[in-house]
Amino acid sequence: MALERVSKNYITEGVPVPALCDVSLEVERGEFVALVGRSGCGKSTLLNLAGAMDVPTSGRVVLEGIDTATAGDTGLTRLRRERVGFIFQSFQLLPVLSVVENVELPLLLAGRTGAREAALEQLRWLEMEEFASRMPYQLSGGQMQRVAIARALVHAPALLLADEPTGNLDSATSDLILVLLRRIATETNTAILMATHSTEAAAMADTVVRLRDGAVQEIRQAVKQA
Amino acid sequence: MPRWTLFHRFILRPLKREPTRTALTVMAVALGVAAVVAIELAGGAAAGSFHSSVETLAGRAGFELTATGGVPDEAVARLAALSLDLRIHPRIEDYAVLADSRRLIPLLGVDLIAEPALDGNAAPDAAGLNFFQQDDSIWITEGLGYKRGDHVTLLIDDLAHECAVRGVLPAGAGEAVVMDLAPAERLLRRRGVVDRVLIDTPQDSRADLATVISAALPQGLTLTRAGARTEENQKLLAAFRWNLRVLSYISLTVGAFLIYNTISVSVVRRRHEIGILRALGATRRMILAAFLGEAAAFGFLGSMAGLALGRVMAEGAVRLVSATVESLYVTSRPGPIALSWPVAILALVAGVGTSILSALAPAREAAVVAPVEAMARGRREHQARVQQWRDLAVAMALAGAAWIASRQQPVSGKPLFGYIAALLLVAASALAIPALIAGLNAAALDLWRRLGAEALVASRSLVGSMRRTSVLVGALSTAVAMLAAVGIMVGSFRQTVVLWLDDRLQADLYLQPAIPTGADRHPTLSPDLVPLLAALPGVAAVDQLRSYEISYQGLPAMLAAADTRITQRYGTRPFLSGADPADVFAQLQRGDAVIVSEPFSNKHGVHTGDSLDLNLGGRPAAFRVAGVYYDYGNERGTVLMDRSTLLKYLPDPAPTNIALYLQSGVSPEALLPLVEHALAGRRVLVLTNRAIREQGMRVFDRTFAITYALEAVAVFVAVMGVAGALLALVIDRRREIGLLRFLGAAQGQIRRMVLIEAGLLGLVANAVGFVLGFVLSLLLIFVINKQSFGWTIQFHWPVGVLLGALSLVYGATILAALYPARVATRLVPIEVVHED
Repeated sequence: MALERVSKNYITEGVPVPALCDVSLEVERGEFVALVGRSGCGKSTLLNLAGAMDVPTSGRVVLEGIDTATAGDTGLTRLRRERVGFIFQSFQLLPVLSVVENVELPLLLAGRTGAREAALEQLRWLEMEEFASRMPYQLSGGQMQRVAIARALVHAPALLLADEPTGNLDSATSDLILVLLRRIATETNTAILMATHSTEAAAMADTVVRLRDGAVQEIRQAVKQA
Repeated sequence: MPRWTLFHRFILRPLKREPTRTALTVMAVALGVAAVVAIELAGGAAAGSFHSSVETLAGRAGFELTATGGVPDEAVARLAALSLDLRIHPRIEDYAVLADSRRLIPLLGVDLIAEPALDGNAAPDAAGLNFFQQDDSIWITEGLGYKRGDHVTLLIDDLAHECAVRGVLPAGAGEAVVMDLAPAERLLRRRGVVDRVLIDTPQDSRADLATVISAALPQGLTLTRAGARTEENQKLLAAFRWNLRVLSYISLTVGAFLIYNTISVSVVRRRHEIGILRALGATRRMILAAFLGEAAAFGFLGSMAGLALGRVMAEGAVRLVSATVESLYVTSRPGPIALSWPVAILALVAGVGTSILSALAPAREAAVVAPVEAMARGRREHQARVQQWRDLAVAMALAGAAWIASRQQPVSGKPLFGYIAALLLVAASALAIPALIAGLNAAALDLWRRLGAEALVASRSLVGSMRRTSVLVGALSTAVAMLAAVGIMVGSFRQTVVLWLDDRLQADLYLQPAIPTGADRHPTLSPDLVPLLAALPGVAAVDQLRSYEISYQGLPAMLAAADTRITQRYGTRPFLSGADPADVFAQLQRGDAVIVSEPFSNKHGVHTGDSLDLNLGGRPAAFRVAGVYYDYGNERGTVLMDRSTLLKYLPDPAPTNIALYLQSGVSPEALLPLVEHALAGRRVLVLTNRAIREQGMRVFDRTFAITYALEAVAVFVAVMGVAGALLALVIDRRREIGLLRFLGAAQGQIRRMVLIEAGLLGLVANAVGFVLGFVLSLLLIFVINKQSFGWTIQFHWPVGVLLGALSLVYGATILAALYPARVATRLVPIEVVHED
């Protein structure tokens, strides 16, 4: 995934308000990138652009070789279905669906066969198989986030976007989730772009991108301990 | 004032933010109220009209004297000879048609010389009176477009008469044509009788005056207080108006479900806010008042709009109601539609009352929320699911109570327990809906997944929002059930009437005077036609039917006579009482027996073997009831005797109708020119067997047009409710919808999801409504209709009508979801997902 000199303006009461200014960023397969910065610095906007939920005002967002600005609504939907997975701070599980139904949902939306098997397999990988038939309100916060991760990975995306994935969790559970994300990047060769306020979370990433007022202030490669 | 500020901020402001949904709820109440107002106004206008002309022109008489077949002149003479301070006004009363406008109008014969004042305002002037004894002299009320000197063609019975207008009477007298008594007697073939004698009594008359007058008169005459006939008609119409009123409340019942739904949505959405308000010191009573206030606001706005809409709808309703009153009950001309204070108060009470009652449960629920208790929807819906089995048990108990209620006798002639049973059944089905939805969902668990993500999410969302879904299904299924129930009842009734007509109408040609007939109007044909028709080649038999208006036990009824030998020869009709037809006809032909129609039997409690006392031609006569027969011709009830018996008491030979039976191989169409030739110069309508059946079915269909109109309003209210409720569901689930877009759902899939949800809702509502409708139709046919009108209806499935109606409702439900679906597809996922 690459952002090439991307800017994004939102119109508020007729006046364009810049959210991102001339941001360039590249995330490779298997790379774990953390976006840090204060609230309102543009982290979520960057995630939305990277995840084909929005298109830039200027510049290019290229996802698996496809320019999102030229893809159209159908093309963007296809990209999300096939190439992108999302996880959110508040988990965003559908309360009316069971755990396994939540996980298989992206496959069903894409009309793929074998959804149930793939969902159960994903839950097994995340050690959540025994909760497959439970409803979301019967799970703890950490369990819900693991289900959300399973759902984000079930269609084997190239890019996993995580918006404050530990924001609603206690520190012990947060650590478990971060380890899990690290494992996903390494074992599944999935690129991960994670927005976070937490320095502990950012410390798990290969690269930390600091945003300020919609612009990249710093890109820092993590020093890996042997 | 601070409370009003709170109410404004907490209740009214959120309503303003959702104008479409607020408008839909107000419109639902408005339409419900409008249906009630329209029927109230139309019923009043139609029922109030039959004392228009005849009664207005009656003046302020104290008593009236009547007799079947007319009051003999000698009785009038006896009255006049009494040494009491009485003023006697003998009258001929009938109807004529103004040939140029085809307008039916009362024709009154009064003694213009002896008592020229018809009432205080309606006296013919002296100039015109010079011509009073001429057969062609008439006085006509103003407003009909005639002036003195005009010539008018009047159609009376089967003849046309050229008349000269000798004067115009003021409008205060109502609409009528007036002539002197003697010419009226000649023109209307009254020989030695008048139709009614009005008796003016002094202000300070003796309390026992009626007894004194009766004692002076021969037996067989009926002396009643003036205006008693109007009261009899009102009484006769009571069941009809009562049933119509009940039907008009269906839309309001459906609206009640929707108010319940709207207030429930408010409570669920603002649960968190309620918690905060309670924590800040709001009392439970304040919370309760706030939500009841919201309902009252909906009710008030809906009532006001419904009052105006009802006034407009009444214009159409009055035409339909009047047509039914005219053909089944009594001659009527719609009076003015009067929007009075009582009707306005009724609208307010109906609208605001229904709204507040519907909101009681959700408002109480809001009031008991503890400050710390701001639970998530999932938890609350779980509670609803847990309670579904308890609700199912209550539903079964209510269904049992409905069965018991349906077995009870009517109260004062009204099927009160039948209506209670219907309400209990509606409540039972509403309570059973959550369990039904859960059961269906569990049964089709895998099916939804197989049908795709849209079906899976849609079906689960329905179950997940069980409290709301079940109320919506309740509203829609109630409307569908009423539609199905009335559809089955009317379809069954129609088929019953078709079979009855098949059996009853055995003759090949029917003749009747070419002026409109009605349940209480029996214009006659010239008796000299009969031998002419009998002599036509190919005619096998001529039956002469005669009808009279009678009063029995204080209610209007019909006395009819036919040549029962001919009826026996051609008819195959079985008797309701199960009596042997040969034996019944033999009794009728002996002259001391009658048969009565089913409505007569039920209304008056007269059964086979009973004795029936009638006053005929000023003489009392007793008859044995030989049997009870099926009859759907009029609701007042009929006593039928052999023609020879009738002529013994009422010797006027003029028939009301003539039935011609043709020899086999003779075609009615071939004989028609000969019949028309024999009728030369007469105003007679000749109908083939097929035409008279079609005429009968037209009357039938017209009778139930108002029913279908009310059903349509109820369904419209329900479908609007579905649109509003789906919109609310979309707004409440916007975050989930946004999330689906994040997970790869295309806009088309979101649209499909909402439409599938509406489709499932419609499907469940149609299924529940159909089953409930079937049970309600049994209640309508065998309890409510039977107790109200006394008709036996054979059950029949009107498959085409039902399929059409259900498909229409289903289609409308899907259409109602188009706007909410559009709103869903236009949500911006980034905004709604990050709303928190």
